[in-house]
Amino acid sequence: MNETRKWILHRVSAIILAPLFVWFYFSLISLSVKNYQEAIYFFENPLFKILIVALFFIGFFHAKISLNEIFEDYIHNKKVKDVANILALILSIIIPVIILILLI
Amino acid sequence: MKDNQNPISPHLQIYRWHISSLLSITHRIAGVANLLALTLMFFWLLTFTLSESNYELFLLAINSFFGKFILMGFTWSMSFHIFSGIRHLAWDMGYGFEIKTANVSGILVILSSLVATIIFWLLGRGLI
Repeated sequence: MNETRKWILHRVSAIILAPLFVWFYFSLISLSVKNYQEAIYFFENPLFKILIVALFFIGFFHAKISLNEIFEDYIHNKKVKDVANILALILSIIIPVIILILLI
Repeated sequence: MKDNQNPISPHLQIYRWHISSLLSITHRIAGVANLLALTLMFFWLLTFTLSESNYELFLLAINSFFGKFILMGFTWSMSFHIFSGIRHLAWDMGYGFEIKTANVSGILVILSSLVATIIFWLLGRGLI
């Protein structure tokens, strides 16, 4: 992925994530004082499922690009940096995929 | 880069903190905190899909003093990162670079993130 596209996708993902996060935090704070039945009602809603999966995929994509930036700034050993970047990539794929599997 | 003992520039320790630099590093730290928050949300969903007793155990943890502190902290880091992100987007479009504007927008980011966190919890817990 070239750097310009990375830069643009980083901003685009940020704009999508902002409302998703507002909605999800609000929902989780509400759910934290409700029981399991209420959680079923929330997590089994098809629209919410799609939104949650989207939040995780886009969220980890955004985080992956950000981590690349942070590693670029603070890790000076190229080998260590490469390994860190690969770990970030793996993490950004595995967790959203598990969420997808859990929710379907 | 070879690790030698020569002094490197900039010497972060001797600079006075400004709103701009404080918010810049806080934006990063809040971003990393949000990644941890996303991981917590992952466990939230995981315990939910495992079983009812697991989920109730998770709720017990999240409603403990420490759990609430963590969740409130994450609510703030998310609010802060969003407001600070909007400030960054404005810069990306070429607005708000004047020193006075940047200082005022910085203070606004801090204040709105605190207010947003309070509103989140009051609304989320059904208190207003």
